[in-house]
Amino acid sequence: MSQGGGGSRVPWVLGSCLAALFVAIPVGVVLASVFRSSDGEWSHLAQTRLGLYASNTAILALSVCALAAVFGISTAWLVTMHRFPGRRLLSWALLLPLAVPAYLSAYALTDLLQFSGPLQTWMRETFNLQAGEYWFPDMRTLGGAITVLAFALYPYVYFAARIAFLEQSRSALEASRTLGRGPFRTFLTVAIPLARPALIGGLLLVLMETVADFGAVDYCAVDTFATGIYRTWFGLESQIAASQLSALLLSVLFLVIGVEWMLRRSNRYHRTAVRCSQPQATRLGPVAGLLAMFLCLVPVTIGFLLPAGRLLDLALFQGDSRASEVLAELVWTSAMLGIIAAVIALILAMVLGYARRIRPNALTGLASGISRSGYAIPGPVIAIGVLVSLGWADHRINDVSTSMFGDEARTGLIFTGSILALIIGYQTRFLAVSLSFVESSLLRIHRNLDDAARTLGVGPAKAFLGIHLPLIRTGLIAGGLLVFVDVVKELPMTLMLRPFNLDTLAVRVYQLASDERLEEASTAALAIILVGFIPVILLSRLIERNRKSHQLKELR
Amino acid sequence: MSNSASSEHGLQITDLRFGYGLDAPVIEACTLHVPKATVHGVLGCSGCGKTTLLRLIAGLERPDSGSIHVEGIQLAGEGHHLAPEQRPVGMVFQDYALFPNRSVRKNVMFGMSEGSKRDRMEQADSLLQRVGLLDLADRMPHTLSGGQQQRTAIARSLARRPRLMLLDEPFSSLDAETRSETREETMAILRASQVTTLVVTHDPAEAELIADEVTWLSCAQDAGRS
Repeated sequence: MSQGGGGSRVPWVLGSCLAALFVAIPVGVVLASVFRSSDGEWSHLAQTRLGLYASNTAILALSVCALAAVFGISTAWLVTMHRFPGRRLLSWALLLPLAVPAYLSAYALTDLLQFSGPLQTWMRETFNLQAGEYWFPDMRTLGGAITVLAFALYPYVYFAARIAFLEQSRSALEASRTLGRGPFRTFLTVAIPLARPALIGGLLLVLMETVADFGAVDYCAVDTFATGIYRTWFGLESQIAASQLSALLLSVLFLVIGVEWMLRRSNRYHRTAVRCSQPQATRLGPVAGLLAMFLCLVPVTIGFLLPAGRLLDLALFQGDSRASEVLAELVWTSAMLGIIAAVIALILAMVLGYARRIRPNALTGLASGISRSGYAIPGPVIAIGVLVSLGWADHRINDVSTSMFGDEARTGLIFTGSILALIIGYQTRFLAVSLSFVESSLLRIHRNLDDAARTLGVGPAKAFLGIHLPLIRTGLIAGGLLVFVDVVKELPMTLMLRPFNLDTLAVRVYQLASDERLEEASTAALAIILVGFIPVILLSRLIERNRKSHQLKELR
Repeated sequence: MSNSASSEHGLQITDLRFGYGLDAPVIEACTLHVPKATVHGVLGCSGCGKTTLLRLIAGLERPDSGSIHVEGIQLAGEGHHLAPEQRPVGMVFQDYALFPNRSVRKNVMFGMSEGSKRDRMEQADSLLQRVGLLDLADRMPHTLSGGQQQRTAIARSLARRPRLMLLDEPFSSLDAETRSETREETMAILRASQVTTLVVTHDPAEAELIADEVTWLSCAQDAGRS
């Protein structure tokens, strides 16, 4: 025992470095693949599909971001700064599309709008039309994928914009009015520039989710990097080419994140306003009020009401005939995976967060930074990284075993295709979620408490269990819940890493929907949406707390 | 237009009433005449509606009844309400409300709408020269001292050539040492601009120092002239 503090800090630092390996190894393996030779498969890929993957991914990402920005920012501004019919309900409902993963939205909207779907059938019968006599939007196109993703992901921008607008100082907006700029110009030239860091953060999330999406683009038959990686691995069975494709995508993503980071550093705004009163909402006239309500209803309808409604309709009136027997098992598998992954993610996050608190140096900072970056990496890329590194480990164990005990001692594949692979993959991607909650909760605890514990002769481990852990409980619950939900919704990584006979809710829905058996998938899909309500409730509480704390400030 | 309105008055407020919803009115039967190109102080206890009065004049709130005229132009009254951006009124906020993402010069240029960019820049620089901040034109607001921030806010309001300036507790957030110096500089700038000025303060001694005339605003009572 060291003197004074009691207990060592070294295990925490070591632990945090080990935790960071969950992200560092898969990423490193993928990036290292650039130096391997793929026997011409790469050049074949580059000549045939690469251009298509790149252009589709770029068009998809830019269009989704643009649409999400328009709907997310405008609706956040309307519900924050104006009063109109339904505002209170809509300000909450605008988050609802978060509960519907993009792939479910793609299945449901396609089903709703396809030739044999209810809408077109009704149109043909009512207006006595024949096939080919009318135009109807086709969801299985790039445009369809853009629509699905934009309305599934805009809540990220909406949430960021809403918080930013709530935090904005009222007097800056009013100063602009007294300086001769009307409400709309004030919105464009003062409110948006002041909220820009938050808006870019929200858009970056949309961008990463779009690039990482597999289920929706796969169903809409759009070839992007994500589907390309999956097909190169399983279809062409070319591990190295798939890894190299992943490495290319990763480099582009890291470049984008790097640029954003530099922009944020050079653009740090300081608040000059001492007092920060919440913007006052102005009442809109009857016509403008209805228009505002309509504008807010559009994204809620496309992103939530239509897909969830269609799935509910299918589940209630057609449903899965074997629903009850299969569903119970699927729910059990998904829930168990979610709980195991969430608990491990919380433990790793606590080690990372606390190590950085008690030893704030370059090493613990780097470990935390690496662990946070996993969320930016698309599921298929992580799956490749995990498969390659576990495959390597399996082979080495095999080699050692056979060289020591002869050919009979073949161990086969121990890790590959095991639940362990899946759990590691989930940590790589979702450790960032639990870590951000743990770190922000720890920041709220005053350093004096740590110092008090040290002067009382209590070591770091005991201090953590006795003081920090109880104090960060709320943050832990929220972070754990979000990891759980993310795991239950997760599709491409689960599809690629799961053991042979293991089905989750998401995998089952994907398989049935791919076979055009959406009726049977609807019950499981609804279960996923139900779980998806958890983050919606958490986020809306966060907004509410923010609003209230500003009202308090104003009263003072 | 009300017939009592005269362009001789810099500011003319008649029988103004304002309240939030069903609560007792914050301002009731407020009448005030301020001669052109003078500095007028508004005194009162905290919470008696001093800031609300300024917000009504600037157009940030809509009065329940009564009228407001500036140099004979009707800003509010008789169902008429000019939007804040259309009023010839400049306001210096208590927290100055400088835009943190724009330099001092760009803050001053924000409200200018006429002329080429070059003209506007020259205008802004000559204003900054007047308030003694030309050297700091490219600095960001958060690097300035409280007094410098205030002078930036004044230059920004003056750039629109308002006929009436409203100052909300302009010296309250400055420390005691710089306070009297800043006060003298600020008032000198405003007097040199020959613009009618209404200053809200809670400090009677300060009001006597800076204003030609002083009005006491008592809680939800008539505002009479002293």
